[in-house]
Amino acid sequence: MTDTENNNDLELQLNRRGFLKGCTMVAAALGISEAMIPKLVEAATTAQRPPVIWLHFQECTGCTESLLRASHPDIGRLILDIISLDYHETVMAAAGHQAEKSLHDTLDKYAGKFLCVIEGAIPTKDKGIYCKIAGRTAVDILAEVAPKAAAIIAIGSCASYGGIQAASPNPTGAKGVQDLVSGTPVINIPGCPPNPISFLGTVLHYLTFNNRLPVTDNLGRPLFAYGRRIHDHCERRAHFDEGRFAEEFGDFGHRNGYCLYKVGCKGPETFSNCPSARFNDVDVWPVSVGHGCVGCTEPNFWDTMTPFYERLPNVKIPGIGGSTDVDSAGKKILGVAAAAVGIHAAIGIGKKVIKGCGCKNEKKES
Amino acid sequence: MIYEKHYVWSILLRLYHWSLVSSIVTLAITGFYINSPWTLTTLEGTGLYPMLTMRNIHGLAGYLFTAAILVRLFLLLCGNRHERILDMLPVTSRNIRNTSTTFYSYSYISDYHDHERLGHNVIAGMIYILTLIVALFQMASGFYLRLPESVFWQKWGVTLFGTQQHARFEHHLLMWYFIIFAFIHIYLVIWNDVKHSDGITSSIFTGNKFRPRGIK
Ligand code: SF4
Ligand code: SF4
Repeated sequence: MTDTENNNDLELQLNRRGFLKGCTMVAAALGISEAMIPKLVEAATTAQRPPVIWLHFQECTGCTESLLRASHPDIGRLILDIISLDYHETVMAAAGHQAEKSLHDTLDKYAGKFLCVIEGAIPTKDKGIYCKIAGRTAVDILAEVAPKAAAIIAIGSCASYGGIQAASPNPTGAKGVQDLVSGTPVINIPGCPPNPISFLGTVLHYLTFNNRLPVTDNLGRPLFAYGRRIHDHCERRAHFDEGRFAEEFGDFGHRNGYCLYKVGCKGPETFSNCPSARFNDVDVWPVSVGHGCVGCTEPNFWDTMTPFYERLPNVKIPGIGGSTDVDSAGKKILGVAAAAVGIHAAIGIGKKVIKGCGCKNEKKES
Repeated sequence: MIYEKHYVWSILLRLYHWSLVSSIVTLAITGFYINSPWTLTTLEGTGLYPMLTMRNIHGLAGYLFTAAILVRLFLLLCGNRHERILDMLPVTSRNIRNTSTTFYSYSYISDYHDHERLGHNVIAGMIYILTLIVALFQMASGFYLRLPESVFWQKWGVTLFGTQQHARFEHHLLMWYFIIFAFIHIYLVIWNDVKHSDGITSSIFTGNKFRPRGIK
C-alpha cells in the first residue's frame, strides 16, 4: 500500500530498523540493560506469537486508538507484529457470528495459553445489563474468558479501577477487572489513555522472561512504568523547590514555565512515567505544554483528583449537600469551637458574679 | 486550707508534651505553606529554596512528632500511675465516677471537684487517647507521602488510605483536628486553673500538683 500524495510507504509490516528501534525504546522504558535487547528481539520474533483476546467493555476505545495511532508508528506496528490479535472488535475484519466464532475458537484452542487484554470497566448493577455484547453481559463474558486466560492485562484506568463510569454515584456499578477476577493474574496499565510503551513493555517482558509479568506496586501496576511519582521526575521540579509557581493560567509564571502546583497539578500524588516516556512524536506530556497532571493513573481519579484546578478535594458538608474546601471547613469548625468556648466562659463568669458572696465565703474558709 | 505538693508528671512526660507542642506548631505553619505556597521571587538561581526548606523543616518536625508520640505510647504502658492508660479510661469504678463528676463540673451543674485525683480527669484522658490514635494516622499518612517508593509505607498507605491523594487529603484534614484540639485544650487548662487550686498549668513545667492536706 502506498500513500502517493505524501510519498510515504504505509507498510503494514514493520521493517527491521523500526523493529529494533521499537524494541530499544521498550528496553529503555523497562529499565533493562542494553545487553538484554537481543533477548527482547528474539522473544518478539519467535514464530509462536501469543494469541491475544482483546475484550471491550464500558469504554470509549481511547486506549485502542492511542495504541494503534501510537505516536511512534513503530510502536503501534510492533504491537501488532509481536502478538496475534485473534479477537479485537475494533480492528478485526470479522463481524457478527463470525467474530463470535473466532472468539470461541481461540478460547478452545488456546485455553490456558492466551493473553487476555481488557479495555473498559464492567458494570455489575442490575445483573450487568448496562453492557452487552452479542446478547451477553460483560460480567458473563469476563466470567467465561478470564479463567481460561494465562494472564489478564487491564489496559486503561477503566479496566484497572473503573474509571469515569465508576465515578460517584457510579450508576451502573462499574468495577475494574481486579475486583471481579480471582485465580488468573491481573496486571493494571492505568492511564486515560495509558502510554502505549507501558503496555508494550508489559507484553514484551512477559514474552522475554518466560511468561512472567513485571513486578507491580500495591495497586497492581508495573513498577517500571508506575514506580515513581510524576512530581519526583518532573522537569518543573526546580521551580517547585525554589518556590516559583504559576498562580493562574496565562500569568507571568505560567508563561515562564513555572511549576503548576497551584493551578492544581496532581503530579505529587500520581505514579506514572509520563515525564520520561512522554507522548507523541514530539515527546510532550501535559506538564511540558503547560497543563497540570490530572492524576489519571490513580484509582478513582474522577472523584479524588477533582476539582482538577485545586490542590485537594472538597469536604462534603453532611446534611446540606454542599461542599467546601478543607481550609474553610476547618476555619468554620474552629469558629464554632471558639463560639462554644466563649459561651462556656461567659456562663462561668456569670455564675461567679451571681454567687459573688459565695466566693468570699470560700476565701474566708481558706 | 493547707496544700501539699505531689510529684505527678515525670520528666519524660513533660519532654513529650513540649516536643509535641513545638512539633505541632512547626508542622502546622510549614504545612500551610506547603499546601498553598506563594511565589517569593521570580529571580532564578538565587539559591533560595523556600519550598525545599519548608519541606525539610516539616520532615524534621515530623520526626520529632513521631518520637514524642512513641514516648507517650511507652508511658501509657510503663509510665507512673498517672500516666498509664488505666488511669485515663473509664475502666475502673473510680474512673467511671470521675467521668460523671467531671462532666457535671464542666457543664456547671455541680461544683464538686475530685481532689483525690492527681492525674488527668477521665474526659481529658479519653480525648488524649483519641488524639494519640489520630496522631498515629497522621504519622502513617505523613510517612506514606514522604516515602512514596518505600515498599513498607506503600503497603500501609494503600491499605489505610487507598491512594496518595486520599492520604494527602486526610493528612490535611487531621491537621485541623490538632489545631482545634490545641485551642480547646488551652482553654480548658486555663478554665481549670481559674476554678481550682491544684496548679494544673504549672504542673506541665514543674511536674508538681497540689491538693489539700489530708486527702488520700
Ligand atoms: S508541575 Fe506538577 S509535577 Fe511538575 S513539579 Fe510542579 S507540581 Fe510537581
Ligand atoms: S500527566 Fe497525569 S493526567 Fe496526564 S497522562 Fe500522565 S498521569 Fe495521566
